[in-house]
Amino acid sequence: MRSKLFLLLKSPREFHALEEMEAIAGEADRAAVLLNDAALFATQEGRLEELLQVCPEVFVMKDDLQARGLDPCPGVVEIDYHQLVELIMDEYDQTVTL
Amino acid sequence: MSTMLIQIRSGTMMNMDTNVLVKLAQAALDRGHAVKVFAYGEGISALKDGQDPKRFPNVGGILREQISQGLTLVACETCCHARGMRRGEEFEGSKIGSMTNDLSVFVSECDRMVTLAR
Repeated sequence: MRSKLFLLLKSPREFHALEEMEAIAGEADRAAVLLNDAALFATQEGRLEELLQVCPEVFVMKDDLQARGLDPCPGVVEIDYHQLVELIMDEYDQTVTL
Repeated sequence: MSTMLIQIRSGTMMNMDTNVLVKLAQAALDRGHAVKVFAYGEGISALKDGQDPKRFPNVGGILREQISQGLTLVACETCCHARGMRRGEEFEGSKIGSMTNDLSVFVSECDRMVTLAR
């Protein structure tokens, strides 16, 4: 199966698509990238734990954390846009925006 | 050279999606990838000539600069027509095209596609 990179843009309050993520990913390798207000996932232990149960690897944009003055919980990897391009173009087969 | 296709469906003043667009496009260009952008729905506002926001990044200005670096920017004609944006209102280097003639080709030729939408 084609590996999936999920791009999350919405805040945890607006995001209700964990079941869809699970269904779309199926048996494929998957990871999630937190952009914009989705960066808040990285600071909320409970919501982050829910996300990690669906996606074992979670990345967050450094820019978005810094813009909001936030520090991520353990288990999240901070990346920049060059690393995001590498994930999209080289590491995963498809992107899915939710 | 690999090609990244980005479909933008959010407007320049709606949220931060167009900022993600220009940052992602720049990083891809910097890494030697070809970048094609198809603007759909409210995303067509990215092509409007004369954008002059006072408190937000000038996405149109950044895209215009990225076109000079090789980025391709095309908008959906039907979306433009629906919003009263006429041919000639797009800034130089961008194009009002169509899903049939442009997006379909972009999708068939790209290596990866990213959608930015809510």
